Amino acid sequence: MLERAKPATMAEQSPSRAAPNGAASIATRIFTRLEFRMLGLALLIAVALSLASPYFLTKTNVFNILDQSVVIGLVAIGMTFVILTGGIDLSVGSVAGLTGIVLGLTLKDYPIPVAILTAVLAGAGIGLISGILVAYFGLAAFVVTLGVMAIGRSLAYILSGQTAISGIPSNLSDIVYASILGIPSNVFFLGVMYLLAWLYLTYTKGGRTIYAIGSNKEAARAAGLNVLFYSILPYVVSGAFSAVAITFSIAQILSADPLAGNLMELDAIAAVVIGGASLYGGRGSIIGTLIGVLIMVMIRNGLNLMGVSPFWQGSAIGSIIILALLVERLVSSRTDR
Amino acid sequence: MTAPSHSRARPAKGGPATLLKATGVEKTFGRTRALAGASFELREGEIHALLGANGAGKSTLSKVISGHVRADAGELLFKGRPLQLRSTRDALSAGIAIVMQETTLAADLSVLENVFLPELGTSGFLSRAKMRRRAAQILDDLGQAGALSLDTEVARLSAAQRQLVEIAKALALDAELIIFDEPTASLSAGEVERLFDVMARLKEGGRSLIFVSHRLEEVLAITDRVTVMREGATVAAGLETRSLTQGEIIRLMVGREIGAIYAERQAARDGAERPVVFEVKNLAAPPAVRDVSFAVRSGEILGLGGLVGAGRSETAEAIFGLRPRSGGEMWLDGRKVAFRRPAQAVRAGLGFVPEDRRVQNIVPDLSVKENLLLAHLGAHRGFGLGYAARQAKIDELLQLLNLPGHRLLDASMLNFSGGMQQKIIIARWLLLEPKVLILDEPTKGVDIGTRQAIYELLQRIAGEGTAVVVISSDFEELLGLSARIVVISDGRSIADLPSSALDEEKLTLHAAPRTSMRRNTELLGALASDCGGAGFWALIDEDRLICLNSVVAAPDASPGFAAGDAVRIEESAIPAGLAARGQGFVTETDGSRSTLVVPIRSHRGHDLGWVGLTVPGRAEGRSAEEIRQRIEGLNA
Repeated sequence: MLERAKPATMAEQSPSRAAPNGAASIATRIFTRLEFRMLGLALLIAVALSLASPYFLTKTNVFNILDQSVVIGLVAIGMTFVILTGGIDLSVGSVAGLTGIVLGLTLKDYPIPVAILTAVLAGAGIGLISGILVAYFGLAAFVVTLGVMAIGRSLAYILSGQTAISGIPSNLSDIVYASILGIPSNVFFLGVMYLLAWLYLTYTKGGRTIYAIGSNKEAARAAGLNVLFYSILPYVVSGAFSAVAITFSIAQILSADPLAGNLMELDAIAAVVIGGASLYGGRGSIIGTLIGVLIMVMIRNGLNLMGVSPFWQGSAIGSIIILALLVERLVSSRTDR
Repeated sequence: MTAPSHSRARPAKGGPATLLKATGVEKTFGRTRALAGASFELREGEIHALLGANGAGKSTLSKVISGHVRADAGELLFKGRPLQLRSTRDALSAGIAIVMQETTLAADLSVLENVFLPELGTSGFLSRAKMRRRAAQILDDLGQAGALSLDTEVARLSAAQRQLVEIAKALALDAELIIFDEPTASLSAGEVERLFDVMARLKEGGRSLIFVSHRLEEVLAITDRVTVMREGATVAAGLETRSLTQGEIIRLMVGREIGAIYAERQAARDGAERPVVFEVKNLAAPPAVRDVSFAVRSGEILGLGGLVGAGRSETAEAIFGLRPRSGGEMWLDGRKVAFRRPAQAVRAGLGFVPEDRRVQNIVPDLSVKENLLLAHLGAHRGFGLGYAARQAKIDELLQLLNLPGHRLLDASMLNFSGGMQQKIIIARWLLLEPKVLILDEPTKGVDIGTRQAIYELLQRIAGEGTAVVVISSDFEELLGLSARIVVISDGRSIADLPSSALDEEKLTLHAAPRTSMRRNTELLGALASDCGGAGFWALIDEDRLICLNSVVAAPDASPGFAAGDAVRIEESAIPAGLAARGQGFVTETDGSRSTLVVPIRSHRGHDLGWVGLTVPGRAEGRSAEEIRQRIEGLNA
């Protein structure tokens, strides 16, 4: 109750008397930006891990980390869109599994570009259904995507005949291993996607509408923004990116497993939240998400390098996520005051 | 400690004891100094107004006194002893309670449980039967025994009833000092009156009240003394309310003279020649909107008057496509329109500032600039942002709003004062240069200085040809701002009158919910059919008449006006009858009709206008006295 009353009273207490010191406030604005604090955290983790393992900062391992960031990083883009509107998409893992099977099956009869397009459209289509159920029918995103998650995994098993599809044409792996400007193509693609997503969310009507919806849906609607369309779109984007992500994964192992992408939603949500997004929507950024992805992957990579047992890794990663958010909350509640 | 406390307040020395004394109170939030050496002194058994523009620090000071906020410096003396408040619990146990605008009740618990909620936190057993008796006693003391059922869930109560629960909660703790922070903001006129009754009883019971409000008429009506704050400091302490005028208080609050708050009201005559820009016919959006019609001309400010809950906000939302309509037509520039989504309305040239700033207007996570450009984004058809194309207009608006450009880059609007927020939200629409701008309670919670700026702004854009529709529960504002007022009651537009024919009292009578008119309508109907004529209820000035209600049983007895009409007496069908009101039946010079007009008063003695009965021909053989008694029996 008191929480709710807060914004109004704060507004009253702080009129424009606050010192209008332009330059200083821009500097504070930058350093109080969450992404910068998280970037600091990422660097801190990098330094710590490089002290713990001399191998961590080698060129090979850095490229390893980037390579391992591709799949989760792509899924996290879609997840960022959804979470910015105040929704959540629990189905990304199973949609990845299902669209991977679609890709595998289509590749048996069609050329690679057609197969990839089919898989991406399938992912987008599933996202469209979730989006309509959430935005038009007003069902809770958590429940809708939980249902889609179960359906997706079940269909993946049925379509695949419960076994992994092998015999994927090996030139699919070109999308991973080709080199563009000296960078592996999958990492390059990830970078381009983050750039495009950042541009979209920052400099287009649709992007700003997504922020506005998450921050105050009623105000967005009253101002004439297309709330329905831009509430559905993120789920479509999320479904499509799940398919793209699994395509890169399959290109590496040349096999489509119906179990692929299991628990991927948790990593994606964690990355987005570590990147500073609010699960209530309206707050967060694509750059923050990228940092969140890197933090997640670095920790996992570092723990592997140090030879930490995989059974302990879950505890370690979970603790670090909670700790990071706790520190962030303590820091931000002090600077916001 | 009874009624004479007021008269005892007069002798300056050796008068009533001081209950609370605050001196040198300071409080800084971040970079904002909310209190800069504020002082306040409250006597026992008085109602003391704490006044100030938004951001003056009155809310912060009341929160310091009630323990919600800890002061950085300063001293509080309560009953002569220093008071150290670390929490609201400390304040409550000292006997200080606050009734806030947004209540702090547990919505899912019953009234009874809420009243004793603070005691649930203390040790020991509570007897439910005892609690029940005590709660009933408290409500009875407040004169509100019938107003609340103790077992109702708080979630189902109206705003006024919740406030009553808050007050009862304070009394359950035996609070000696109760602070009312903007208590009337969301109450209707009748509810305000009831609250004042309660406050008067509390005062009679020897309690001291602090009344924080924007509404000066209310301050003048209920308080004994006034303290005015400005920019965190006390600028006038403990002035006798009776010695002050509204103008003097305003001058203290803003620190300068505000000439005419409302610039010259537009002349209604020249408006009649301008084209109608927007027209609504028989709009229906049940349950709140049943049948609303109005038209607004280019360059006109039209007021939509009525009580809270009359369906005015819902009307605006239905027009704008925020609420499904079930019937009615809308015409914009002579073309029929039907907006299903706000985006369509925005692109067609409508703008709408909804009532609730925080819930319906501000997007807290977007910067001030993006908030300003939000409606632009709604109207924009491109893929990109198109912000740059608006830059010239933005600069122009900033100048108009008196806002330095760099403030646009502020990360959130929540750091702005309520008045500045409102200006930015209005500017959001001005940026689009709309043909029609609808504003719902545009000055709610806005300080008086900004209010004037908003009035000027609205007059300015009307002067540039925009059709402006203002919804306001502040009738003074409505009358001062608009040339014409459409009154909405129970979801129907019931009158369309020039402001010049109205004053606050008349508007209040018009706006009364129709349900309260049922007895009146029944009486008029019975009179009309019993006598084979027409009954009406009207307010009459020297030569003008406003009809509030009429029932015509015999067409040849029609008085020549209907409910909602404002006519000159000589233009009606019964000028002689009206001119000779208050006497017996008077027959018109042409002998066509005879009329009896009787004055009516409420049981509190308020003038409610006149009830008339018109019959065809000469009223032979009718007993004026019998009819007079029937009419006077109405409010007995």
